[in-house]
Amino acid sequence: MFGALFGKECKQILKSLVYYFYILVLALFLSTQLKNPDWIEEIEGPKPNQEHYGMKETHDKNVIMGHTLASLTEEIGRESFSTYPYGFYKGVAPTKDELATMKKIIESCTGKSWDRILEEQEKYYEQFDMTDMSSSIMASENYQVKPREDLTYADFQKNMERVTKIIGKGSYYEKESYESGATVPMSYEEALKEYETMRKHDRVTGAYMRLFCDYAGIMLAFLPMFLGVTRCLRDQRAVAMQVIHAKSVSSAKIILSRYLANVFMAFLPVVLIGFILQLPYCYYAHTLGFQPDYFAFLTYPIVWLLPEIMVVMSLAFLITEMTDKIFVVFIQIFWMLAEEFTTVSLAGHFGMRLALRWNTIGATQDYLAQRQDLYWNRSIYTVIAVLLIAFCVVIYEKKRKEGESLYAKIFKNRH
Amino acid sequence: MSENIEIKIRDLSKHYGSKKALDHVNLNIRQGMFGLLGPNGAGKTTLMKIMTTLTKKSGGEVTVCEIPVEECRKVREITGYLPQDFSMYGNMSAYEALDYLAVLSGMGKRERREKVPKMLEKVNLKEQQKTKVKAMSGGMRRRLGIAQALIHNPKVVVVDEPTAGLDPEERVRFRNLLCEIAKERIVILSTHIVGDIEATCEEIAVLNEGKILFRGTINELLQMVEGKVYTAEISTMEVSKVQKKFLVTGILTTGNITRIKIISQMQPMEQAQLCPPDVEDAYMYLMKYKEYGEV
Amino acid sequence: MQKYSKIGISYFKGQYLPHLAVTLLFCLLSVCFVSFRNLELMQSAKILEMYVSLAGIFLMTPLLMPEQNVEIWQLEKSKATPMWQIYLVRLLLSSVLVAFVYTAFSLALEINDSAFLWDKMWICGISELFLLGAIGFAVSAITNQVVIGYMIAVIYYVANIGGRKYFGGLALFQMMEGKYDFAGRMFAVGIAVIVLSILIRERQK
Repeated sequence: MFGALFGKECKQILKSLVYYFYILVLALFLSTQLKNPDWIEEIEGPKPNQEHYGMKETHDKNVIMGHTLASLTEEIGRESFSTYPYGFYKGVAPTKDELATMKKIIESCTGKSWDRILEEQEKYYEQFDMTDMSSSIMASENYQVKPREDLTYADFQKNMERVTKIIGKGSYYEKESYESGATVPMSYEEALKEYETMRKHDRVTGAYMRLFCDYAGIMLAFLPMFLGVTRCLRDQRAVAMQVIHAKSVSSAKIILSRYLANVFMAFLPVVLIGFILQLPYCYYAHTLGFQPDYFAFLTYPIVWLLPEIMVVMSLAFLITEMTDKIFVVFIQIFWMLAEEFTTVSLAGHFGMRLALRWNTIGATQDYLAQRQDLYWNRSIYTVIAVLLIAFCVVIYEKKRKEGESLYAKIFKNRH
Repeated sequence: MSENIEIKIRDLSKHYGSKKALDHVNLNIRQGMFGLLGPNGAGKTTLMKIMTTLTKKSGGEVTVCEIPVEECRKVREITGYLPQDFSMYGNMSAYEALDYLAVLSGMGKRERREKVPKMLEKVNLKEQQKTKVKAMSGGMRRRLGIAQALIHNPKVVVVDEPTAGLDPEERVRFRNLLCEIAKERIVILSTHIVGDIEATCEEIAVLNEGKILFRGTINELLQMVEGKVYTAEISTMEVSKVQKKFLVTGILTTGNITRIKIISQMQPMEQAQLCPPDVEDAYMYLMKYKEYGEV
Repeated sequence: MQKYSKIGISYFKGQYLPHLAVTLLFCLLSVCFVSFRNLELMQSAKILEMYVSLAGIFLMTPLLMPEQNVEIWQLEKSKATPMWQIYLVRLLLSSVLVAFVYTAFSLALEINDSAFLWDKMWICGISELFLLGAIGFAVSAITNQVVIGYMIAVIYYVANIGGRKYFGGLALFQMMEGKYDFAGRMFAVGIAVIVLSILIRERQK
């Protein structure tokens, strides 16, 4: 019976206008975002005596301190601090006393006076053509304010805590932020090692599919919700609720067949688009002389994207069955926006993010170092999805027995 | 289907906030056609929803073929329900809709393949099996509705206002179908259309404001108003005066003369003559004199 | 006139209140997400274009929610008052609310000493809210499914975050780039889209 219900649900989804909009938007978005051929150079590997070999993340404490103090110097100079306490930008303008305190913190960390630091900053930037964009970016990325030699990392952290107390939540001076943002340029040998790792592990298509998952994840943070809402409201629209509720089939079978069918049908176009977009990269891998990972179009989306689809869909099911309204649209929009604006890094630092970011091709060593976090993240979201849909089954059964949703119970006019 | 087919309702109550939809209802419903009559808001639909486990009761006991309604799954397995505003997904054909609802009724593939076409034929939808639900007429939808209520061979069939909006031919066809299926089942028919009750039901109950006003056979209902129904011819101008004084259940005007039907304990006027009562008269009598507490 | 005010009040009280409640919640939650203090022009523009603009979707997309029930739609259609007049009353009501919400946020910025150009940013911002709302309204009018209206409007918003170059003169977030010449264009397109969708809708059976 379950198989029959699942099949019928899939067939119904194929008749849905919302589903075709879903596929169209996904296909358009991914094909336009992922058509850049410049990334091919990264696949071909580094050559000696190149000007730039890209940046790598570093956990070198001296570099972290240098970069953080540089950022602090610049923001004190601007008298304005950027924070993202709940995802959106919140500018903080400290008072004169607070600025003076922070200047003292910098002086204490560097062993130099504030005026001396400003002089050195000016001299540093004179080396670069600040009217040229790439030059100014490189200047900014490489700028460091060196800590004094006897400054311990623990002391540095205590000072940054003082800064955070002054500025507030969501600033760059929180531990998670400054420890994730330090990068240094790669040498030729490092870039070569990175390339070899990518060849061996990713086999080109793996690296590409991480980028694919990055973009797809942005859309899948909210798009599947519309499929879920549409399905849950269909019984109401068709005036079929009572006749379905009166049937002997269990609520678990009804909800799970609908849910799994929607998850399956939402995931299917992702895999198909991934397969199509991966094809050129299979060819490029051959031209470079090695075997691509042909199944990357399946393995990466299963791990990266399927849990995301599952949790978005299960939340849509739960809220819609609970209320018989479209409230989940607003909830999901807020969640999606908060995700978008709390992006600390465009590559990794997964934490508990719904949409995992890896907006770069390659960086395989970094990826391998963070892969465990990714698995944890996706496992937790899978569990959350299962719990939400289980709760939805309970809600649905209650609705079936009582003849009205929770929302109707609370807000219905009674005489 | 010779096992004990009976619905027992003991002291059933249902409240919606402070409003009493059902007020200590007691009823036994046995095999055959059972009619449920009553005005709008009487509690008929609430009673049916409780029997089909679509609403929880506030108090009392209800068993369907010895299964308490709290055991939803078991009750749903043996009941078929046709709601008043039945519809299905508009983009499904009649066959697809019935097949889908048969799956929800727990029928396997082989069984559905065999029974769905037969059921469509039984309700005269064989020719329209590919017609989409959204393109169906009201009568066709009702037939599809009764088909889905019967497809899993339930012991109890509950139909809510099945003939409302149907043309006379459809209505007769529907009634005949219900009578046929009632031979081995309980069929509970809720309706405003007294003619349906008269034509099909052995026993009925009349509900008003959540209470049972009458429970028994059609003959017993008619006996209540035996000797109380009169017809008379009066001037058309006197009709409104008579209506204010007596319970008038029929008016037929031909020019200046109006033939009226009156329910009264005693002869209302000189020219009034006794006539055989019908179910409508009995129903109106119940509704009217219940107000004055005479029943 | 009384007829139209009755149509508007009836819709407002009977159908629109949950959506207003969501918009109110959205406005109240803004203090948790964004700061209104001492912002430069581009920072003010970011808040208005990336946060406040969503209010257009919340206020204008659900205007045809009652008519999703085809029987209600047909019943209304059978009456003497043409449907486009009913839609117009609702659109005017929601447009006033859109302007009200945007003005409230603009005032919040000004009161908190943030940069805000009344002569340019007020009308430009409202035009962006209006366009987003018009897209949501139009799609829900043509498909008779409000969910699809929300879907397309939100997708338009999200697509503009990374792919503004594909939208040309109708791209969102132009104030963040210091451009203020798009209001007329957006209003015109918004109105055209609404009118076209109503025409298509009324031709449907």
